[in-house]
Amino acid sequence: MSPAVNGWEAGYILDRSPVYRRNKFNYRHLNAAELVDMQWKLGMAVSSDTCRSLNSPYVSLLLKIAEPSGQISQKALEMTIPQFQNFHKQFKEMAAIMETV
Amino acid sequence: MAAGLSSEDFTNLQLLLKAPSKDAVRDVCVQSHRAVSQRLTENTAATFSIPAAQAAQLIQSLHTLSHHVLFYNLTSPEQILAVFPESFHSSLKNLITKILLENSPAWRTEALSRQVSLPQLKELDWRVDLVTGSDSVSRMAVPTCLVQLKMEDPCPSAVGDSISTVTVELSRESLDTILDGLGRIRDQLSAVAGK
Repeated sequence: MSPAVNGWEAGYILDRSPVYRRNKFNYRHLNAAELVDMQWKLGMAVSSDTCRSLNSPYVSLLLKIAEPSGQISQKALEMTIPQFQNFHKQFKEMAAIMETV
Repeated sequence: MAAGLSSEDFTNLQLLLKAPSKDAVRDVCVQSHRAVSQRLTENTAATFSIPAAQAAQLIQSLHTLSHHVLFYNLTSPEQILAVFPESFHSSLKNLITKILLENSPAWRTEALSRQVSLPQLKELDWRVDLVTGSDSVSRMAVPTCLVQLKMEDPCPSAVGDSISTVTVELSRESLDTILDGLGRIRDQLSAVAGK
């Protein structure tokens, strides 16, 4: 069994890959980062050098991520409205499964 | 960039009258929209039996015209026909208009996907795990979710890979917070759509 590392205790999940436990209920996989914050913006692309009138809505997200090392990084991304709707649907499914598991 | 159309451009466009077929006109219109290249110039000069210099001018003028139509989002025959001068060859004008109308939706979609933007979400994959035990707590049932996001940067740096991957682990609490945020975006979208 791996010894405690920086206050983390080693444990195992279902498939026996190692996981480090921070506190009783918050488990982190080796190499998995943690999402610390999610900021969002709903925007409308009005015009560009190729199309004078775009009228194209989009959602942009700014994710703040804590790496296993503790370092915080930021990732910005954009998606179209249909992509956002699928994104939302996927997260609802995750929550539903988390509920039943 | 949307350069204006000049009378010289329309003079160049009349070179299309030398095309061997309507399909040849269609081909050169579609290819010149994408890029003005040496290869295209040579092929056009050969197909139309015109000097390379004239072929180059024709392609440039076609490029300017198709981008003008795209920029101003000209979607009806009347709007496009109005771009041509009165004196322009009538059936050629109609043929060019028809070709531009046929291709405009695809060109617009392409322009939208290539515009200046933040990295675009490409893929979302996820997995729910159940933590059933550890060395210090023999029995438990704590769900956790691993989410992987793949993003494509439309303007990657010279050295970098355009696809970047982010993998995060979410607890129930984090997931609920995210869902809260996503719900608000959905509400905002409905509010805006309703206006």
